[in-house]
Amino acid sequence: MDILSNLALGFGVAISLQNLIYCFVGVFLGTLIGVLPGIGPVATVAMLLPLTFNLSPATAMIMLAGIYYGAQYGGSTTAILVNIPGESSSVVTTIDGHRMAKQGRAGPALGMAAIASFVAGSLATLVVALFSPPLAEIALKFGPADYFSLMVFGLVGAVVLARGSLRKAIAMVVLGLLLGMVGTDLNSGQQRFTFGIPALAEGISFAALAMGMFGVAEVIYNLEQRAAVRQVNVPSIGRILPTLAELWQCMWSIMRGTGIGAVLGILPGGGALLASFAAYTVEKKVARAPKDFGNGDIRGVAAPEAANNAGAQTSFIPMLTLGVPSNPTMALMIGALMIQGIQPGPQAMLQRPELFWGIVASMWIGNLFLLLLNLPLVGLWVRLLAVPYRLLFPAILMFCCIGVYSINNNPFDLFQLVVFSALGYMLLKLGCEPAPLILGLVLGPMMEEYLRRALLISLGDPTVLVTSPLSAFFLIAALGLLVSIAVPAIRNQREVAMKE
Amino acid sequence: MRILMGLASVAMVAGCLLNWDAHAQSPADGYPNKPIRIIVPFAPGGIVDTSARVIGQELSKRWGQQVVVENRPGGNGFIGVVATIKSPADGYTLLMAHTGEFGVNPAIFPDIPYDLDRDLAPITMINEAPMVVVVNSNVPVKTISELLALARAKPGTVGVSTPGTGSINHLVLEWMNLAAGVKFLHVPYRGGAPAITATAGGEVPAGKAALGSAMPHIKSGRVRVLAVTTAERSFVDQSWPTLIESGIPEVRSSIWAGLFAPKGVPQPIIEKLYAEIAKILQQPDVKERFAAGGGVPGGMRPEVFGAAIRQEAASLKKVATAAGVKPE
Repeated sequence: MDILSNLALGFGVAISLQNLIYCFVGVFLGTLIGVLPGIGPVATVAMLLPLTFNLSPATAMIMLAGIYYGAQYGGSTTAILVNIPGESSSVVTTIDGHRMAKQGRAGPALGMAAIASFVAGSLATLVVALFSPPLAEIALKFGPADYFSLMVFGLVGAVVLARGSLRKAIAMVVLGLLLGMVGTDLNSGQQRFTFGIPALAEGISFAALAMGMFGVAEVIYNLEQRAAVRQVNVPSIGRILPTLAELWQCMWSIMRGTGIGAVLGILPGGGALLASFAAYTVEKKVARAPKDFGNGDIRGVAAPEAANNAGAQTSFIPMLTLGVPSNPTMALMIGALMIQGIQPGPQAMLQRPELFWGIVASMWIGNLFLLLLNLPLVGLWVRLLAVPYRLLFPAILMFCCIGVYSINNNPFDLFQLVVFSALGYMLLKLGCEPAPLILGLVLGPMMEEYLRRALLISLGDPTVLVTSPLSAFFLIAALGLLVSIAVPAIRNQREVAMKE
Repeated sequence: MRILMGLASVAMVAGCLLNWDAHAQSPADGYPNKPIRIIVPFAPGGIVDTSARVIGQELSKRWGQQVVVENRPGGNGFIGVVATIKSPADGYTLLMAHTGEFGVNPAIFPDIPYDLDRDLAPITMINEAPMVVVVNSNVPVKTISELLALARAKPGTVGVSTPGTGSINHLVLEWMNLAAGVKFLHVPYRGGAPAITATAGGEVPAGKAALGSAMPHIKSGRVRVLAVTTAERSFVDQSWPTLIESGIPEVRSSIWAGLFAPKGVPQPIIEKLYAEIAKILQQPDVKERFAAGGGVPGGMRPEVFGAAIRQEAASLKKVATAAGVKPE
């Protein structure tokens, strides 16, 4: 009964005209930047942060949240039509989604992505509403050793799941880990690889690296192709709505994807990207006739899209209930709340129920907006992609520059953007997938932090990593993945599966 | 661009001088006649950013000029402070900084790119909040002396979480070690929220944090406050003793946010800013805003503020040297 009155309170907040408008603005912007590669929710939220100071806290959060989960919808459109992830979390969608588009089934792929996202978003919002308090307790029970082992598992997964050569994937993860070493060492305060540059004391700018590798490098690569490669070069969109048979086929994929996404979204360092990778692998393992995966299997679109959207929704749980960000966008949201004089955490949830429940209610409304924006209006976004590249790329470059600069207002970040654009271009030429690098960069420093903290607290006793059941479980799972890839038969199978 | 700006400021200075001669005006008379920016050397959120935004909002209400908060995070605050001191000393660029930039950095870095006396003019303290020493509520320790006894019984093993190596919380922890002759196990985190959450979750038995960060967990009863670090008890709960009252001599410290101008801003402008801000700090709604994070408004005269910072920096320097806290 409690939850009903809470939801009534939440909808009371979310349905006010102002909040409806800002919710729509948020999801619209989210879809827009999701469709456009090279500009992501981190940069957009950072750019809009100063604007939110004059809004009420609930309104500000409703809009910023809309940008974040809206981007998960938009990202798939670009992934399917152009074979480029609009958002990093839709990397996996390119595998089967773009293959479908090439087969002339772009419409059902887009439709399924939107439906899977909607179902997952609605269910995951229910998860947020129902399980925030108890789930917060679970996450609170994770010790540093458990986090470390979870991240080991995540990194091993990133290697195993990466497309293309295994050796290149390992190299990319290691490069990511190395880049993650730059900055101030948490335990000793030592500067590592900063060369006396103060801007590097807090490490490499994640936004500059991500935008360089996923945005600018792509632009350079595409310009080099001369012909209008970035045009939507798929035969036809076709009908948008999937058939009932396809819906039936995907129902369990969507459910599994939602479950995986909802769980991984809660864990710091997990989030939408890992969720979509994990959902895809699981799907390939449990689905009937897995040989179609990689060749345009619609389940390969439904599962990761459900997972990344579910992950995007549930990543709000640790942020709202504990005040702990699970990803850079959530860190910015905490910033937005603190500007308003609210310290996110269990108390904020209790003292300002209208804020928490207003956000939850707005997520349903926002997902409904997004379904409308992405099903009937998908043509609009396709046309946005069909905008001549010579008009699009200066805009992308400009947004990348504004986005990178506006986070720290530091020109040095633009130099970083240039360096990582060049590196990203080189890696593209060498056929190296940047996703494992990003995962290494994000997870590396956290892994190191948790490992050293686990050892510090245990006074140097490394057995903590196996005596904690959660930690032992993740380590065994990681070992299992490693063994599986070392077995030649499975490795060959993987290479077959990953071949485009 | 830079040349243009340089020219513009030369022209402006010239204009001011001419004006002054003609009408014997004070440079504060026309101030402010364009938007003011307050540089914050941190990302949005937290005591410094909040202080800047509250003051900015109130100043622009009173003066009808826009006050823009510009976040220039990174490099331990170096980037924001350096951006301020390189700006024209005309009163249109101000700095909201905190204990970290002027108390901690000079103590722990061998070489910092700014100097309080050489580069900056303090205006006033805006907001001052205590730090607290807390324990997880399952730890059977009720007072500081019991905590110290525990640390003496098991030297180097009683964990205390802090928001990071070389943070003010870390320095005060070292100060406690020195003053009480004990050795705690320092467990650094990335920021106040994760640190206090770790203590609340029982990962680390004790914690040292800003009162604002600890407040949610104090209210939920997951952590228990043993002492505040300030010289006076906190309005939040008068029953919490200070560290000095708890038998740790000399240790008193706070987290403050204060407003600065680049050195060379005409004194009348400093006085005008000070007078207006002192009035703003009297407003009940501003007091309430700060109280949410356990803070109380400052408002001391510029010279008093400057002297307080110098004294604090000297104490922290002594602690850092004795405890060997060095980033490099």
